[in-house]
Amino acid sequence: MAYEALDFYDIDSLLTDEERMVRDMVRDWVDEKILPNIEKACRDGVFPDEWRVDLGEMGILGAPLKGYGCPGLSYIAYGLICQELERGDSGVRSFASVQGSLAMYPIWDFGSEEQKNHYLPKMTTGEWIGCFGLTEPDYGSNPGDMITRAEDKGDHYLLNGAKMWITNGTIADLAVVWAKLDGVIRGFIVEKNDPGFTAPEMTGKHSLKASVTSELVFQDCKIPKDRMLPHVKGLKGPFSCLNNARFGISWGAVGAAQSCFNSAREYALSRIQFDHPIASFQLVQNKLAWMLREITKAQLLAYHLGKKKDEGTWIPEHISLAKMNNVDIALEIARMARDIHGANGILDEYPVMRHMANLESVKTYEGTHDIHNLILGRHITGIQAFTRES
Amino acid sequence: MGIAVLLKQVPDTTAKISVSGGRVDESAVSKWSMSPYDEYALESALQLKESGGGDLVAITCGPARAVKMLTDAAAVGADSLIHILVEDLSALDSTQVQAILAAAVAHSGSDIVFCGKQAADTNAGSTGPGVAHLMDASCVTMVSEVTPDGGSLMAMRASPNGNERVSVSAPCVFAFDKGIIELRRPNVRGIMMAKKKVAETLGPADLGVDISTSSVSIVGHTPPPQKPPGQKFEGADSVAAVVSKLRDEANVI
Ligand SMILES: Cc1cc2nc3c(=O)[nH]c(=O)nc-3n(C[C@H](O)[C@H](O)[C@H](O)COP(=O)(O)OP(=O)(O)OC[C@H]3O[C@@H](n4cnc5c(N)ncnc54)[C@H](O)[C@@H]3O)c2cc1C
Repeated sequence: MAYEALDFYDIDSLLTDEERMVRDMVRDWVDEKILPNIEKACRDGVFPDEWRVDLGEMGILGAPLKGYGCPGLSYIAYGLICQELERGDSGVRSFASVQGSLAMYPIWDFGSEEQKNHYLPKMTTGEWIGCFGLTEPDYGSNPGDMITRAEDKGDHYLLNGAKMWITNGTIADLAVVWAKLDGVIRGFIVEKNDPGFTAPEMTGKHSLKASVTSELVFQDCKIPKDRMLPHVKGLKGPFSCLNNARFGISWGAVGAAQSCFNSAREYALSRIQFDHPIASFQLVQNKLAWMLREITKAQLLAYHLGKKKDEGTWIPEHISLAKMNNVDIALEIARMARDIHGANGILDEYPVMRHMANLESVKTYEGTHDIHNLILGRHITGIQAFTRES
Repeated sequence: MGIAVLLKQVPDTTAKISVSGGRVDESAVSKWSMSPYDEYALESALQLKESGGGDLVAITCGPARAVKMLTDAAAVGADSLIHILVEDLSALDSTQVQAILAAAVAHSGSDIVFCGKQAADTNAGSTGPGVAHLMDASCVTMVSEVTPDGGSLMAMRASPNGNERVSVSAPCVFAFDKGIIELRRPNVRGIMMAKKKVAETLGPADLGVDISTSSVSIVGHTPPPQKPPGQKFEGADSVAAVVSKLRDEANVI
């Protein structure tokens, strides 16, 4: 059966032809390449290299960036790409988010002309994979206190420290690493063969199993002087990247929720208990109606935020609200869909348990759910509540 | 030389078809797609164009929604697009559609034509040979691949004795079967280029084709009869029953 995306308020009619064509291209690719293979990739714990090649060939990596061979699409188109990829699997969307928003974007916005010309054309085609090293074992929600340090050694920088939970780390050709130089956070480009740099893979995940997650270890890691991003200092650097990735997640979560809704609806219509399809029982209909309502609200949030991104009238708090809300409802929808599927809901024959487990990571990364509440709380009251000192 | 590919937009092969009031309810079709055989024709035409053939024009005859399919063809590399706007294609008979398409091919100045061996909705299979007849062109059917062959073209086609290679020269029409060639996917660059390729929209009258009298009138559509439900057998005890059903009822062993 052809995939029919839930679009109760006809968001489709608000899109440009170009946005629709990009969406359909990714949608078809997900049907053809991701859905038939995702369970095996999860079981094997790999991100198949073929997917990297295809994403590059479709030309969607770094979607909203302009110049240097990058696609130059609208933010709405970028959102739609994330939505379709995450309808397949959050791990696939994570790959694209990290590559585009977390690795290409800082080079594009804060890099030197030479860095942009050197890295971006090969990253948008997927030839080079990037990763983003901010989180450390002891500093997650408060990256400002990070330990990783860079020292100026005259003709090179020396990096020491460790990053953890880094998506794409082990398969990356380059890492954008945030480290303190004389107490100030700066961005550095570390290449995979730089001496003193290793990226061992983390294992044992119950979530995002088709996405590679790694540690980045720097032991007297020597990098040339021209690898520091010249145009940004402080937390603004990593936070600008996160704004873009979080924007993509607010759309991606809609895709995961649409997938769970469709599966639940179909299952409820075909599953007979007490002589009737379970879809005919009011309690089940209530669940489906709730899903439809929350997905529709999430779509409108994502669409309007996309418009604001394209117009340049957004503030980071707008993104916090959409990321937090949309992941929250997607996770709740995944759990509800699992419930509607009964025992079958735990099987890999249906996508719901996989989405549910994935969304637990999505709820935590890119600013945990509650960190976004705190960002909004500060916006509302003018009082920061992240820490006791002010 | 110019290359034309004739494309038809049909209900996606995975879309549910419902009949209401004795007619297929087109408004209930969730997804319209390029007819699958046409996709192979388009891919092969693109390959011929890339190996030095001339410009590729994509032509469709159909309602307003069909222009989306032309833009899809532009996104993978068609150079120009012609849309002959006919709101109700099912009111035309095959010879009228052939006349329209042959006139559009002439209008485009093409002398090599690619199309599907049949459309996935009507499955009539008459378009390729019909257009060839009107163009006074050679026609090769059931084609799986076309390659340049000196000044002519070599077509691979299925025959009872295995694959057959046929050499023809323009003007010619190739009606495609699903082949061995791999279909290309669009990419963002192509999609952005497609934005600039605006379809030339014409009516049958602009091409001098009269569609006032059709030799066909459709009495009604009916859905295919529902398949009887399958039968389920469980446990080793049922083996004998299954074997006898397979032998006596299904006649497969
Ligand atoms: C699969 C996966 C991939 C990831 N990929 C990357 C990557 O590519 N790059 C990267 O840099 N990082 C990555 N991360 C790390 C992610 O960004 C962090 O996990 C996240 O920032 C949270 O940090 P933490 O896990 O240390 O949790 P903590 O910060 O320890 O938080 C634990 C809990 O405490 C709560 N909490 C913390 N502070 C407060 C407070 N002030 N008030 C109230 N509650 C609070 C949190 O909301 C949370 O519920 C990834 C994580 C996962 C799971």
